[in-house]
Order: sequence, then C-alpha cells, then structure tokens
Amino acid sequence: MAILEIKDVSFTYSGQNHPALSGVSFSLEKGDFALLCGATGSGKSTLLKLLKKELTPLGELKGRVEYGGQSVYELPDAVSASCIGFVMQKSEQQIVTDKVWHELAFGLENLGLSSAEIRRRVAEMACFFGIESWFDKRVSELSGGQKQLLSLAAVMVMQPDILLLDEPTSQLDPIAAGEFISTVAKLNRELSLTVVMIEHRLEEALPISQKLIALREGRVYAFGETRKTACALQKDSEFLPYLPAAVRLHARFDTPLPCPLTVNEGRRFIEAAFDALPPAAEISPRVHAEGKALEFKNVYFRYAQKLPDVLRGTSFTLYENEILCVLGGNGSGKSTMLRIASGLSKPYAGHVSVFGKRIRDYKNQDLYKNCVALLPQDAQTVFLRNSVREELKGVDTSAFPFDLTELYDMHPYDLSGGQQQLLALAKVLSQKPRLLMLDEPTKGLDANTKAQFANIVRQLRQGGASVLIVTHDVEFAAEVADRCALFFLGEVVSSDETRAFFGTNSFYTTAVSRMTRDRVANLSTVDQACALLKDHRRRA
Amino acid sequence: MNAFDEFNPLSVFVYFLAAAGIAMFASDPVLLSLSMLGSVLLYCIRTRSSQRGTHLFSLMLFIGLSLINPLFQHNGVTVLFVLNDNPVTLEALLYGISAAAMIVSVLYWFRSFSAIITSDKLLYLFGLVSSKLALLVSMALRYVPLFKAQAKNVDAAQRAMGQYREDNVIDAIRLKLSVFSIMVSWALENGIVTADSMAARGYGIGKRTCFSPYRFRGKDALLTILTLLSGAAVCILMGLGHLDFNYYPATDPLLFTPARAAAYGAYLLLCLLPSLIEIGDALKWQYLRSKM
Repeated sequence: MAILEIKDVSFTYSGQNHPALSGVSFSLEKGDFALLCGATGSGKSTLLKLLKKELTPLGELKGRVEYGGQSVYELPDAVSASCIGFVMQKSEQQIVTDKVWHELAFGLENLGLSSAEIRRRVAEMACFFGIESWFDKRVSELSGGQKQLLSLAAVMVMQPDILLLDEPTSQLDPIAAGEFISTVAKLNRELSLTVVMIEHRLEEALPISQKLIALREGRVYAFGETRKTACALQKDSEFLPYLPAAVRLHARFDTPLPCPLTVNEGRRFIEAAFDALPPAAEISPRVHAEGKALEFKNVYFRYAQKLPDVLRGTSFTLYENEILCVLGGNGSGKSTMLRIASGLSKPYAGHVSVFGKRIRDYKNQDLYKNCVALLPQDAQTVFLRNSVREELKGVDTSAFPFDLTELYDMHPYDLSGGQQQLLALAKVLSQKPRLLMLDEPTKGLDANTKAQFANIVRQLRQGGASVLIVTHDVEFAAEVADRCALFFLGEVVSSDETRAFFGTNSFYTTAVSRMTRDRVANLSTVDQACALLKDHRRRA
Repeated sequence: MNAFDEFNPLSVFVYFLAAAGIAMFASDPVLLSLSMLGSVLLYCIRTRSSQRGTHLFSLMLFIGLSLINPLFQHNGVTVLFVLNDNPVTLEALLYGISAAAMIVSVLYWFRSFSAIITSDKLLYLFGLVSSKLALLVSMALRYVPLFKAQAKNVDAAQRAMGQYREDNVIDAIRLKLSVFSIMVSWALENGIVTADSMAARGYGIGKRTCFSPYRFRGKDALLTILTLLSGAAVCILMGLGHLDFNYYPATDPLLFTPARAAAYGAYLLLCLLPSLIEIGDALKWQYLRSKM
C-alpha cells in the first residue's frame, strides 16, 4: 500500500496568478528512496513543503496529499510532527538550541514525553549516528557536516515514517556530503524509512535511490524507477546536466548498451563500447603570462600565538590572466590563504605580493582600488541594502557577462542561491578588480547555474582578469581552471596544468577521470572524453 | 573531574544559596571567618593549580575595603589616631574588616558557583521554573554567537570589497550602520526559518516537558538535607537574635553561649561540606589506585 500519495495537486501562492505546481500526481511505497530534481523555480521546494502540514506555504491548494490513506492536513498535530520529518537546507538556521543533547531532545520535549523516554530515545539515536563523542558540545563548536547530521538526528528521534530533505548537502563539502547521503541511505535500508530528497549532487545520490521524480515548470515531467527514468531523461537537454557523469557520457553516443549510473558502470561501458584507445590524450601545452598577479613565498600564519600554524610555508604563484583553482580538504587552510591574499589577515612570516608589489606596501585601501576583490563563501554577507536596485546603485552593469535587471525590485535575501551568487559577483566586480578571488563559488548551485558561472569566470579571464578560486568542487575546477593546486595542511603539495593535474591524481579527481584512467590518461571532463572516444567506437 | 561538580545542579544551587546567603546577612566575625575559610578552601581545591593572580586581587580588595570604612566612618569609642581633624576608630576598622570579609568570601563562593554551574546546569534550573523560559535562554545562547559571527563575516566581506575608506571616518560609521541594519534583516530572516523548524518538530502542540541529562540521586538528596538542616539551624538562631553582634559604639565581646556554639558548629559543617566531599573523593581514589 502506498504510504504517500499525491493526487492531482495544484498550488498557487497567494498574490500570484501563475500556479507554482499544477496537476502533480505520484505515489510512493513504504521504504522508497525518491529523488526530486528540477531546475530552480520548477516547484521542487514548494512540493516538498506541501507534504508537511506545518510548513505548507500560504496559497490556494487543489488536490489531495495522503499519508497512509489520510489527508496530511487532517492529521492530529502530534502525529504530523513526529511521523513526517523535514530536514532543511541550512542546518545553521534549522538548529534551535545551543547544545547538541538539547537539540536532540527538542522534538521529544514538544511531544511531552517523560524524561526517561527522552533519555532512552536520545541515547539510541546518538549511538546510531555516532554522536557520542560530541554529545556534550555546543552547537557552535561543530563542523558543517556535524551540524547537518545533528539536524537529521534531531528529526529521526521522533521516529518518522517519512523523511523529507530539502537540498541537505548543498552547504557541505564533498566528504561531509557523501557521509550525509550514506547515512540517509542507511536509514532507508535498515529502517525502511521512506525518503524524499531534493538534491543537486546526483553523482552520489542517484545510484542509491529507487525512484526519480523530475519536475519542470510545476509539472511532473518524469516519474518512475531511477534507472529507467534517468535513461529517459538523458535525451532531454534540460535535465542532462543534472545527471551523473556516466549518464552524460553515455548520452553522447547512440548505443544499444544499457545506461551506466555509477563510475564503475561507466568504466565497464567504456570497455564495452570503445577499443583501440591511445594510452593518453594529448594535451597542448599552455603558455602563461610572465607577470605574476599573486605570489605567496613561504608564508606562515596562525590565528593566535598559542594555536597551531594554519599556513606552514605556503608557496605558489598565480600568473596574470590565468584561472587557478586551489583544491583541498576542510581545514587545510584554503580559506585562510584567501583572507591573507585579500589583506584581511597578516602572516607572521613570508612574503605575499600582488602584481609584483608587497601587500603591506599597499597603503590607504589602494589594495582594493582596481586591484583585489574577494567574493566570500556566503554571498549574503556582501549585501547591505533592501533591494537589488540599491545594491547595484552606481555600478555599471552593462559590461558584465550576465543580466540582473529582471530582479531589480527584489530583496537580495529573496533571490535563489544562484541569483544571490551573481548579484554578489556584480557587487564585487563594481570595484573593477584585476585579481578576483572566489571562495567556494559553486556551493549550493545547481548544474545549470554552475555551468553559467563557469562561463562568466572564463569571460572575465578573457577580459584580462586573473582569477583565484578556492573550491571543493573538482568537476567545476576541471571545467574552468587553467591550473590547479592541491592544498594539504597549510601547504601547496602539488600544482599543475588542469588536465595533467587530474590525470595524475588517483582519488582527488573527477568522475570521468576515474572512469577512463585505466584506458586513457588525461581525460577529466565529459567533453574531453567525447572528443577522444568518438573516433574509437567498437565495431559491432 | 571534581566530585562536587557531579551533584545535581539543584542541590548545588541550594548549597551555594545557603552558604553565601548566610554570609551576606551575618555580622558575627566567627561566621564570616568560617565563610572565608570554606569558600577559599573550596576554590583552592577545585582549581588545584596556583591561582596567584586571583588570590592577590582578593587580598588587595580585602585590604582596600577594610581601610575605606574607618576613613569615612568616625563612629566608635576607641580612637586610634586623628587624621585631618577626623578620628579614626578601632570599631570602624573592625567593621570594615568584617564587611570586607563578607564581600570577599561571597566573591569566592560565586567564583566556585560560576565554575560549577555551567550554562547547561543553569538552563536546567530555569527549566524547573518554566520550560518556556529554559528554551528561550537556550535559543538566546545559540543565537548571540551566531549573530556575532555573521556580523563579523559581513564586515570582512565589505572590507575585502574595499568598502571601507581609511581616510573617512563618517563613511566608516555610515557603513557600520548599514551592516547593523542588514544584520537585523538577517536575524528576522533566520528567525522565520528557525520558527518553521520548530513548528515542524511539533513546537506548541501541547504541554512541553523539559528534558535534562541530570538525575536526582541519593547523594544529591543527602547533600540537600545536610545543607537545609545546617542552614536552617543557623538561620533560626540568627533570627532569634543569638548571633547579633554590634560594632558601634563599642565592639561586643565574643561570648561562647551554647546557641552561638551550635550555630558555629552548623555553619562550619555547611562551609566545609564541598571541601570534605572533594577530599573524601580524592582519598577514595587514592585507596582504589593502591588496590589496582
């Protein structure tokens, strides 16, 4: 029997004429793991919120949403609160209390359970999630990944039947995101929890899901078993960018072979479909400019005398008119490096020069006049005004490779993640920087927005700017960078031209590289792979 | 781990209320000395390592407070010497010393109190009064650091975009004001999502319970009973006037009446309770270790 049934649901936000959702119908069995995907504005979040009584937005709703045969809007409060769990995008905003144990107990306190019962359930959940070691900590001491796991655990203590997740990994680095997704998969597998998840990071989530729901302009565009639906969607250029690299590669060739979903399946597909491959793809060497936009020479930094070094002899160079991506794990000092390069912090030893001049010799804010600008990780920190128009007052936007005029009357906080990122970029570019620094620019962006952002960065480079990008996102780095550097424990341990960089790395590399590396070296993106593979089809 | 910290926060709270409360209302020099002894001993045992700075500060405070009273208060029959045509009396000095002892010992009690009663435990105590109040305090404790961190990030973002101009103070103030105003929007925006998250987890559907990881064990009951008995004994004797002590015009002689002796015994027990618990615990471990 279906645990969740959506029957012909249409929804219009109050004050708007255009429906956000129209005629949406599907049903899920108990234990289903369903992924919900679609472009920004396709109604994903609206749909997810309609499944939870307490979060239903204001507006006109038609149709029925049923949980176990009963309308979710008629469920008793206590049943609705505990049986349908909801995890939000930003754990920072979702967490209510200051201590980990208190957050875990919060929902159970609301249900009015006894202390003994709460103690038992909280203990159980802390064991299942491996939270014991940070059970007594303050929330503010946790890492981003721990915070999101806490949000999940705080919902799971209420023992829900259905778990709804709204882009839960968008603010996490790939390691923490992978951990989070596998925890959700474990809950689904071991507790038969029904899961509906909105997710951009389909590379990991798609292979473990059972159902795929694709939304387009408020309608269900495709719904069904994941593999079948993914194969159907690969014919559609709007959805293709969201799908895993293996599917995208498969989509480029007209082949009777089944569509691969994972890296492993992708590797087998290449083995089956192509032969007589060269040992390595040719890389045309790149000549960089002579001038140095940014140079770090043996830089040491720590936040306080008693604390350990964050940067330990960091040395690297960003040449003029070049895009350099700095990759590396959490806490490797990447963001600190950006703080130093943008003059926010001062190292205690070593030299930092910008365009050949020591950073400390820039006086009176000269460093920020047509010279250096930093786009911080959280785009919201850039905004100070109440509308996009005011934010961009006095900024000549005509030269920018993107357009924001449609959004002029909105509040910056009401924009989507991608739009916020573009607005923040516009504000940063208003200083006409020659050296642009971006801190995790693809965090929380969907595939299409990411591609657009990559284009913008390339156009800025063509306009003469030098760009330093700090990112976790290897796929983005492979698309956009001229050179890449790997940061580890406050040092640059390797740096190379992008294709060679990903060609030599075995773990820290793109999905395409992992699929192809044992047959052909130096392939890191789907485009590169297609260009080479198309001449080597195996004859039937 | 300190043994006294492990008691239920309610018992600990009641204990400090009794010990410091009696000291605040006592005028008897012996009671004040006992308070001083107990509070300093507890602080030293708990912190173990040398807290020379704290003790030095307390000593200076003690001396300072003791000397201020005779300079301004000229009551008393025993004149020590005359300063600027004003008599400095022994009684005023003794009164100053007792007031200083009161203040300094209560300070020591509070030092231990604030080290033992962490924000969690305080929250538990609030929760005993009202679960809503406890939640409110907890949310505030979460929100304030979050707000501060975001304000710092906004400030850094503006700086890295060159929005600050070093040569213009007015400009800088104007920018700081805009940062503050956007932070208000940010807090409201954040608050809406947090409210959603609370509603999604059933906040406001009925009567809340207030969970705490602290249990009330036998030893907590024992501590509370001892505290209440000894505290009540001192209070009753104080209320009956057995512990009155006058400094002016002439200092009362210290007479060890049976009532006084009983009060001193009870307050001595009260003041030394936590220190005895700590010492007992240390001895127990010494013994256990020798058996291992």
